[in-house]
Amino acid sequence: MVSSAKSGAAAIGRDWATAIIWFGPALILLLAVTIYPTAMVVWLSLNRTRYYDVIGWAGLSNYASVLTSSSFWDLTFNSLAYMTGSLAIVLPVGLLCAMALQTMKRGASYFRVLLLLPWTLSMAVVGCFWLWLLNPSYGPISYAMKSVGLAPGLMLGDPGIALLLLIVVTAWWSFPYVMVMMSAALQGIPGELYEAIDIDGGGFWSRLRHVVWPHIAATLGSTALTLSIMYLTLVTLILVLTGGGPLGETSTWSFEVFITAFRSVDVSPSAVISIIVLLVNLLLGLVYTRLTGRVSG
Amino acid sequence: MRTTLAVRLISLLTIGVLTVVVVGPITWALVTSLKTETNVITFPPTLLPSPATLASYVAVFQQQNFAIELFNSIFYAIGSIGLTLAVSIPAGYAASRLTFSAKRAVMLLILATSMIPGVALLIPTYFVLNALGLLNNPLAIIVLQAARLVPQTVWFMQNFVDAVPIELDEATQVDGATRWQTFTRVILPLIKPGIAAAAVLGVISTWNDYITVAAFAPDIARRTLQVALVNQVFDSIGITWSYVMAFAIISSIPMVALFVLAQQWFIAGLTAGAVKG
Repeated sequence: MVSSAKSGAAAIGRDWATAIIWFGPALILLLAVTIYPTAMVVWLSLNRTRYYDVIGWAGLSNYASVLTSSSFWDLTFNSLAYMTGSLAIVLPVGLLCAMALQTMKRGASYFRVLLLLPWTLSMAVVGCFWLWLLNPSYGPISYAMKSVGLAPGLMLGDPGIALLLLIVVTAWWSFPYVMVMMSAALQGIPGELYEAIDIDGGGFWSRLRHVVWPHIAATLGSTALTLSIMYLTLVTLILVLTGGGPLGETSTWSFEVFITAFRSVDVSPSAVISIIVLLVNLLLGLVYTRLTGRVSG
Repeated sequence: MRTTLAVRLISLLTIGVLTVVVVGPITWALVTSLKTETNVITFPPTLLPSPATLASYVAVFQQQNFAIELFNSIFYAIGSIGLTLAVSIPAGYAASRLTFSAKRAVMLLILATSMIPGVALLIPTYFVLNALGLLNNPLAIIVLQAARLVPQTVWFMQNFVDAVPIELDEATQVDGATRWQTFTRVILPLIKPGIAAAAVLGVISTWNDYITVAAFAPDIARRTLQVALVNQVFDSIGITWSYVMAFAIISSIPMVALFVLAQQWFIAGLTAGAVKG
């Protein structure tokens, strides 16, 4: 995968002009749409703005005020609780699902497609489906709760359980991703390894520990990182299901950035939160790069 | 692989339960979309629509802006994947076949951009588009969405070009072909599966995007189906759930169909890179 290892390639081209022609369009696009705005968000976080005009230098005072506000730490708590809560469901469920599919003699490919369906739906659609399922007055879930004598309450409107319900919906939408990844990892395990451990008289658990786990651990890790990044930057699902409420209980860093970006007079505090999201993502991305060996050139 | 009866039973149970969990909510949306407006809000909820009606679907198709929303969804999806492929295939080829001193820096730059989340760039992007007068500009949306897809697509293309033996390039170049001819006649036909996988994944993610369009092209004439759907939920006064479900289902059908038709490419695109190879 590391292309510089190919000695043949070196013979073909060393030409700078050629490189610029082939890489140019992609680099121009990324410089304009990603790199330049990244520099700009750093700049904005160090200034004060008013209706999309920069009105003065603020230095680190924006950072100081954001990091000392209790609402920022509420957002931080929600972001991390949302991320870890979702991971705590999707990783075991997705892995279990992939392993179960692996034992099926036939029909596995049909179930794999069927179970992948939620992942192909947009967050807006998933949000609408579940908003209706969790409707406190007419939804089937509150009806089922009432018929067994439980009080459904306000469901997504209840500050005590809104985040939990958001996590459940997120898990419904994203566990198929774990399933696909882990299926691919499991299919990559050579059959002889199972045979070897069968000959050694190893049971189901030793097979799991000594054959399966070493082959899937790295993939499980990279999948968890990809999803962590997604959960930390996700907005639409929260917007549709709870709008960040009730009482800010489901508002995360990214959701706050989305809401305040277009509603605040001074967006520099949101720029600070943007940078925090960016740094956390870079960190997770670097770990991902380490884990998958995805470095080229 | 030898499996005991207990393992097989647990597996079947797992698949069975998860199938119900996945199919249940989708079925409920379908059932609701076929109900009448009053049937939807009867209590207790009825499992089957009585009477079943396609009125909500008809209402969606007759909605004034439906055609333009559908057009925008298609236009943005095709435009951004077209632009993405146009810049990523040459870059992926170059990443695999060229050597020059700054290559490592270029590749690290592309890798770094893949780690910068779009949501962190909402504010500066709005500043830029506002200053350039490009808010509500459909081409700006295409460029923004393409830039999100480019880093992973370049890397994806690089892997596919890497898999083509370099001897093929050399053979055609000995025959007098230029680099461009080698690229179009040898490389491109051989990496078609990779292009297809990147295209399927890109189209689905662009079609399903809400944030970019909602933030930078909120104009009624520029909205996509996804933005229109979310807006309906916000207009909670007069919301009709059978209509919302019908709208959600209609907006999903093209992507679900694409997914079912191109599932092996979709799965290849998803799993590329995450599985250590």
